[in-house]
Amino acid sequence: MTRTFGSWPRKLAVGWLTLVVLTALLASVLPLPYSPGVPDLLNASEPPFTSGSHWLGTDPQGRDVLSLLVFGARTAVLLTLPAALFSAIVGGVLGGAAGFCGNRARVAFPYWLLAVGVMWWALQLPLPMLGVAVAALGAGLAAAAQLRENTLAAWPVPINALVMGAATTLDTIPRLVLVVAIAAGTGLSTTGLLALFTLTTWPHAARLVRAQMLRVRTLPFIEAARAAGVTEYRIWLQHAMPHALQPLRTAFPLSVAGLLGLESTLSFLGIGLPPNVASWGRLMATVRVAPDAWWSFIFPSIMLILSIISLSSLSKKQ
Amino acid sequence: MKPTFSGSLLLFAAIALLLQGCSSPEDKSSSIRVRWSHDPETLNVLQPPSQPAFDAANLIYTSLLHSNFSTEKLEPALAEDYPTTQYIGDSLTRLSYHIRSVATWDDGRPVLATDVDFTLKLMFCPGLPNETAQLEFDFIRALIPDPNDPRHFTLECRGQSLEYPQSSGEFFIVPEAAVDPKGLLRRFTLAELQRLPPNAPADSALVRVARQYQAFAPGALPGCGPYQLSAWEKDRYLTFRRKEKWWGSKIQPTPFVLQARPSQLDFVIIPDASTASLALQRGDLDVFPQVPAREFARLQNSSAARAKLAFYSVPSYDVVTAGFNTRRPALADALTRKALGRCFDTAGLIKATQLGAGQQTVGIISPLDRANYNDSLAPLPFDLTAAAAMLRQAGWRRESTADDAGLVRTKAQGELQRLRLVVRYRAEESTFATAALQFQAAAASIGVAVSLLPTEAGSFAATLKSGDFDMYVRTLKGNPFMFNYVPLYHSRALGQSNVTGFSTPASDRLIDAITRARTPKRKSQLLRRFQTMLQTEAPIIPLFFLPTRVAANRNLTGLHVNSLKPGFAITTVERSAVPSPTTTP
Repeated sequence: MTRTFGSWPRKLAVGWLTLVVLTALLASVLPLPYSPGVPDLLNASEPPFTSGSHWLGTDPQGRDVLSLLVFGARTAVLLTLPAALFSAIVGGVLGGAAGFCGNRARVAFPYWLLAVGVMWWALQLPLPMLGVAVAALGAGLAAAAQLRENTLAAWPVPINALVMGAATTLDTIPRLVLVVAIAAGTGLSTTGLLALFTLTTWPHAARLVRAQMLRVRTLPFIEAARAAGVTEYRIWLQHAMPHALQPLRTAFPLSVAGLLGLESTLSFLGIGLPPNVASWGRLMATVRVAPDAWWSFIFPSIMLILSIISLSSLSKKQ
Repeated sequence: MKPTFSGSLLLFAAIALLLQGCSSPEDKSSSIRVRWSHDPETLNVLQPPSQPAFDAANLIYTSLLHSNFSTEKLEPALAEDYPTTQYIGDSLTRLSYHIRSVATWDDGRPVLATDVDFTLKLMFCPGLPNETAQLEFDFIRALIPDPNDPRHFTLECRGQSLEYPQSSGEFFIVPEAAVDPKGLLRRFTLAELQRLPPNAPADSALVRVARQYQAFAPGALPGCGPYQLSAWEKDRYLTFRRKEKWWGSKIQPTPFVLQARPSQLDFVIIPDASTASLALQRGDLDVFPQVPAREFARLQNSSAARAKLAFYSVPSYDVVTAGFNTRRPALADALTRKALGRCFDTAGLIKATQLGAGQQTVGIISPLDRANYNDSLAPLPFDLTAAAAMLRQAGWRRESTADDAGLVRTKAQGELQRLRLVVRYRAEESTFATAALQFQAAAASIGVAVSLLPTEAGSFAATLKSGDFDMYVRTLKGNPFMFNYVPLYHSRALGQSNVTGFSTPASDRLIDAITRARTPKRKSQLLRRFQTMLQTEAPIIPLFFLPTRVAANRNLTGLHVNSLKPGFAITTVERSAVPSPTTTP
């Protein structure tokens, strides 16, 4: 046990995070006296630990703070964990490809057609069905070439330049500003917010994996695999990537912590999630309406601080 | 590392810029600083779109009659006296006005009957944002000038009504010489412009006048009011300076409605109520109108705040309402709307949002107006059992046996309707947010799925106008002297200010009859019938009337806190050396 979880602070961190995740997963079956979406109008802004049945008090809209904390944990976990996971996958794949292939990769002509067609359709450019037709043509040509075992003309793809260019472009705009601009302008559902978080957080993972891949690809076992005739794709996927992804183990908790802070900031600003979705940040924001209601600020702040500190301590080297 | 001259210069410039950026409107001692939660959308004088826009226009421009905030009555402003009324047969009214001889525009030109005629024509000029003005003033069919006196004129009105003498004088007058120096609109009579079909080919003269009007920068159109807009920093402040030669001060004693005591008025934009409250306590603000209930109570309970501030609370004519988009098939029948109306816990909402200080109502006429308020009706009860029964009666049933299944019904053509609602309200308004949240929870318990969509203040009105909502929660503003419901519920206002889309031939007839009522007794009967009809048809659910709460610096006098918007008299406020007594009704 000691070897698995390390020091006491680390054990406490794991314990707290486990509690938060369990609370999030079991939120709907926990015996809470009040639902987070049902306001108790006769007891709005009720302080905690009073004779009333709201143990941690109510917010200015009469919602039970305890229920909001529990369901806020669910929002935090179900939004930030998948977002961190998706951004790690996207960043890992792109960074791994950029580091392994550099700008030397070549892609056969039909695949170019396929990619252009799919992009055309996905971006809904004029005549989107033309994109589908182009993609179908590309897929057909690729299949025919496979069958005839023809060697196709290939064009270079500067994967490294493309990935790093996209990452640098995203990094030039502060993440909070970018997310606020998109979320406030269009209004987002929970799924939309998840996609937005993924879109804006993958560059960090990509940079870490690319840097590691640049080191891994020069190691002797990669050369040995090439000498043994293993295809480049298999070398990348089965031999290089498992080593290149190592830094993400440390970065993942930090990424979750960052997203947790970002989600709370957005909710505090009143953008992002719909108003009826419980969120720690949104609960903290109610202090603007009732500055005397310290409990609606302090309790979610404690939850947030403990969670972020715990995630940070998990990422530290033992 | 020795600092260079250019580096020091750069640092100095940066600090200067920072100080400039952080500065509030200058000259704090002589100006009165009032909190606004947001900028006016425009300063369109023909149809101010919001309260800040109306308040700003009220300072720059003047109308024939103006609200006296101390008596809560309309009184002559630009007009020398109330109009003399002459009834012609039983279908025409003539109202004769005389403009004050001292009244002038910013450039010193006299305000004349031709300016009033031009303003009325401008209200019907195509290509301008004037739809609501058209609905309010289409009863005036002509202005007959007096050939012997350019300040004297007669308004000829269709029909006869108790309200005409007042409503005919409540619009801001626009200078003809500034907007239409060539007199292009003089080619048209008012009746011709009123008869223009909506899709008529654009007349070049009208297009030119519309362009000239819209070419004026906000506040740049000369006015005959006491103030001029001297600065507008968006999202920060608007500053109005009193004219050096304000014509109103030549009249002795100056009537209340023409008084302009503060030499400068600063409207400071502070969206957040808590921040505004801090600014008020710090002395950076003088008046904080429409203080939220909890903030007001908090300030009243603070001994430090009580030492610096005076508190006023009076009933208002603003009613919080929920409205339905009756064009949606699921909300087209009154039974469904009435059932949903029973999902609002009005008493609970008054307690939670107004700390019990609001007033429950049966309609959009204030219970303060005892003559016209229909006290034979009962407010809609909060009754979910009855609501569920009424929904069943309207044909709604659970889609499946699951507890969280939504409601559906099949129409005669076999079309399946789902009762899923999107409720819009202005973001940052906690009263509306609480009402929407309470409605959502109550509706969910009887199977109605509700999504909440807080909408930014600037786009809220446009969203309602475009019909992109199922329900809304908002405030309707009223007054004790006029009851013209054409802009809100008449078929003539469909697609414009009648956002609910509700209108029937019977409701149109009733609304027209109210505007034409000739005696207070008849008007009262019709208004009572109108309230009954609104409760029966339920295009809106009036919830409760809000109180007006104002917190102000104790050194101010002449606030005249009242039930009309904006809740106090801006132009009579003065800073005195002796603190005023605290008022805490």
